[in-house]
Amino acid sequence: MIDQLFGFLGYYIPEVICIVLMTTLLVAESSVKDEHAPRTKIHVYTQIVLGIVLISLFQNLGEKPLHIFHNAVTIDPFSTLMKIIMVVGTMGTVFLSHSSKDIYTNLKSEFSIMAVGVLIGGMLLASANNMLTFYLGLETLSILSYVMSSFKRDESTSTEAGMKYVLYGGLSAGVSLFGISHLYGVFGSIQFGEIARQVPGLEGINLAIVLVSSVLFFVGVGYKISVFPFHMWTPDVYQGAPIPVTSFFAIVPKMAGLATLVRVSFVFLSEGSPLTVSWVGLILVIAAMTMTVGNVTAIGQTSVKRMLAFSSIGHVGMMILGIVVMNESGVQAILFYGIVYMFMTLIAFYITSHLSDMYGTDSYDVFRGLVYKHPLMAIIMASVLFSLAGIPPFSGFVAKFNMFAVVIEKKHYGIAIVAAFNSVIALYYYMKLAKTMIFGQADGEEKVLGFTPLNQAVIIALFIPVLFLGVFWDSAMALAGNASLFIK
Amino acid sequence: MNGILNWILWLPIIGMVGIILTPKAKENVIRMMTLVTTSITLILSILLYLKFDTSTADMQFVTKLPWISQFHINYFIGIDGITMLMTFLNALLFFICTLSSWTVTKNIKAYFALLLMLQSTVFGVFFSLDFFLFYVYWEVMLLPMFFLIGIWGGENREYAAIKFFLYTFFGSIFMLVGIIALYYASGKGVDSFNILAHQGGKFTELQVNVFGKSFSFEHLFFWFMFLGFAIKVPVFPFHTWLPHAHVQAPTAVSVILAGVLLKMGTYGFLRIAFPIFPQAAVEYSTIIAVLGLISVIYGAFCAMAQDDVKKLIAYSSVSHMGFVMLGLSAMTTQGMNGAVLQMFNHGTSTAMMFLLIGILYERSHHRWIVKPDGSKGYGGLSTKLPKYTTVFIIGMFASLGLPGLSGFISEALIFLGIYEKFTTITVIAVVGLLIGAAYLLWMFKRMFFGEVNPETEDYEDMNAREVFYMIPLCICVIVFGIFPSPLLNVMKASVGQLVDLLSKY
Repeated sequence: MIDQLFGFLGYYIPEVICIVLMTTLLVAESSVKDEHAPRTKIHVYTQIVLGIVLISLFQNLGEKPLHIFHNAVTIDPFSTLMKIIMVVGTMGTVFLSHSSKDIYTNLKSEFSIMAVGVLIGGMLLASANNMLTFYLGLETLSILSYVMSSFKRDESTSTEAGMKYVLYGGLSAGVSLFGISHLYGVFGSIQFGEIARQVPGLEGINLAIVLVSSVLFFVGVGYKISVFPFHMWTPDVYQGAPIPVTSFFAIVPKMAGLATLVRVSFVFLSEGSPLTVSWVGLILVIAAMTMTVGNVTAIGQTSVKRMLAFSSIGHVGMMILGIVVMNESGVQAILFYGIVYMFMTLIAFYITSHLSDMYGTDSYDVFRGLVYKHPLMAIIMASVLFSLAGIPPFSGFVAKFNMFAVVIEKKHYGIAIVAAFNSVIALYYYMKLAKTMIFGQADGEEKVLGFTPLNQAVIIALFIPVLFLGVFWDSAMALAGNASLFIK
Repeated sequence: MNGILNWILWLPIIGMVGIILTPKAKENVIRMMTLVTTSITLILSILLYLKFDTSTADMQFVTKLPWISQFHINYFIGIDGITMLMTFLNALLFFICTLSSWTVTKNIKAYFALLLMLQSTVFGVFFSLDFFLFYVYWEVMLLPMFFLIGIWGGENREYAAIKFFLYTFFGSIFMLVGIIALYYASGKGVDSFNILAHQGGKFTELQVNVFGKSFSFEHLFFWFMFLGFAIKVPVFPFHTWLPHAHVQAPTAVSVILAGVLLKMGTYGFLRIAFPIFPQAAVEYSTIIAVLGLISVIYGAFCAMAQDDVKKLIAYSSVSHMGFVMLGLSAMTTQGMNGAVLQMFNHGTSTAMMFLLIGILYERSHHRWIVKPDGSKGYGGLSTKLPKYTTVFIIGMFASLGLPGLSGFISEALIFLGIYEKFTTITVIAVVGLLIGAAYLLWMFKRMFFGEVNPETEDYEDMNAREVFYMIPLCICVIVFGIFPSPLLNVMKASVGQLVDLLSKY
């Protein structure tokens, strides 16, 4: 029994390392004597350990799917790939937090602690195989997120963001738990596998209860990935939070939520499930509304951070289209989109953060004439914006193409047309920023600070996949395809 | 020998990389590099013409390499008679544009790099035989255009660049939906992204459900494709981006835009919309003809009302591309031949007009026939600028379709081809020709005749460089006006194949 438990722990190494990292970081921070010292060593330590986590995750990628800890946790290539995206996202934002002025110096290592904590929650969510693990992951993720969003303690917007996040989050977690309790009442089990077995046989009153309570259950996830109509908190939280936190929120909790959503959808919508019609219909409407609301609202924004926040809502709307089709190629498209989205988001937030550090604001004006001040960064930013809009030869196009492909394969032409319209809207607001950067005249000739050689090197390193995956996406698709096969 | 097409496609990219690696200060080196690249491309395209086998409608110089195996996407390029002409036109116009851009001073490095990138992507659109590759080139082409208009354009350039980008993107995203739908409709097999394999009316029986209603696959996606291509042509009512883009774009970009980019739209009809959805194309040919007719008449009237010469020529492009649409809608050998010939001839004659306006603009720094305050912008130019006037007359008469110059033959063929099918439309379209003559001659009268405007006193006539790059175009419009068979022979087989296919429906 004990042997077996330790044997399973082998598959759980990434999470264990993260937990060790988090606790050692706590100790390390308390040993810092000068409050205003830059936490370079702590950040380097965090990056190295997260790098080890990444390596061990890559080793897990080839393993056969496996349920461990009494079926509470699933280790399969799908969850592992999602975790890889989350870990890279965390590494990226921790690096950003080091140079960002938005994070107070005395909170710099706290950022790493919280981020790793959220990451642990996210990894748990991605691997959750029963309702309890799911809830545990959701709460670990949420509670630390609340703290992170109010990191700018001196500013009322940040405090407001934290408050809003707590209130919405608490409510939606409660609703979700309420749904879970009903599901347990009907199925007599919290295991996803057991529920999936029983779902096709549902009828009468039980079916009605499951229908409602699975929607309630969905609220918790929907809130995390901020889909319509649970997206209300997003703009305020994204704006109030410091930029590294915003970029973190745009990647890690979203990927975790998407991973759960995919898994849960496959539970309730297994072969012959009576829920399929209503679920697919629901998700179709939610996807259409999410992308439309996100993209339309993004047009009018004057803050780049807020614009990126709304555009991330639009992208989530695109990503959940992969769930509608309920097959491997849908999951493959989500995974590929997730990888690409993570790189694009990181670069966009990096450049916004450096500029906002210099000028003290993140309005469109700080981008004016960037191409004359710093051509390389302006070109990369413009490419990323076009990639986000889905213009070839950048990888954002391939992600969008795959999503269109899976939707059209299932003959959902209506949603494809909605998505097409949304692409045009998205292009418009991305182009507005690209226009400001490249067509606008710079006011002065001053050099842009913040783009140190190291920062530039990291941005270029992140940009390579954006370019490479746009042309040679065969192997990345194969990787995503491999991860999508073991979903059940 | 297949390598020659790859060289034409990738040479501009090699040139672009070379320019990017050249230091910014070496402006003349950058100019020379662009010139060398475009001249080699031009020479290669002439070689291509000489090697071209006119007896077959099959694709020639084919290269097919696997690209994305999971989706059966290939790097698949080749040309037939129609694209042969477009290749030559593209190579010629970019060569000329490089020379005409010699006077550009703002950020030369980026300008010429983008120009070469644009050339490569335009070649890519014409060469691609794989749908995915075609779409990639079709979209990538927007990026250099966006920057060329937006950075080197006129006063209102940002608006024009965004409008151009958004309009084209709007059309092409629907085309993407159509491309993916075709991929699945053809069974995800080896040839599912092969444009040629889709041709021949294979989708007439399919039905699709959209928003709960049943549609014919062929008819629905014909309109999706139509939207993508019609915006590019542009056909009324999708033409509103064109005047803005033209007026704001720098001279060379206007030439490319009118000369080759608009042809990508009509090329799309010839290669994709018509052969893949022949039944729908035949069924809706009246609508295409009527839209073409509206473009002809409406474009001509709009041109007549303009005080800005460049805008006038921009609207005349709408009108002339309307003739191409009319020729396409005829679906007869003569009509199609006329349409393809008009694509080529419009490319040369409009390029002349835009270049000439650019030359004049460099001297006057305005383009008003009548200035907004009511005074004359030009006047009596013919007495001061004899060389300029001569070339202008050739370009203008080619443009209005004077017998003996190139425009006449293509328009005559279009009318011959369409007369039996749409008699009324032909009769009205001839009026468009008349209005065309009217606005061009009226413009000419106001600018070149009458009293000499004191402001124009010190204008210099065309210099050697300007004369040099106008010569090839003058030769084109005169020689192909008298002797069009070199062009007609090349496209004969390909057009014949398309007409045969369409005549079955």
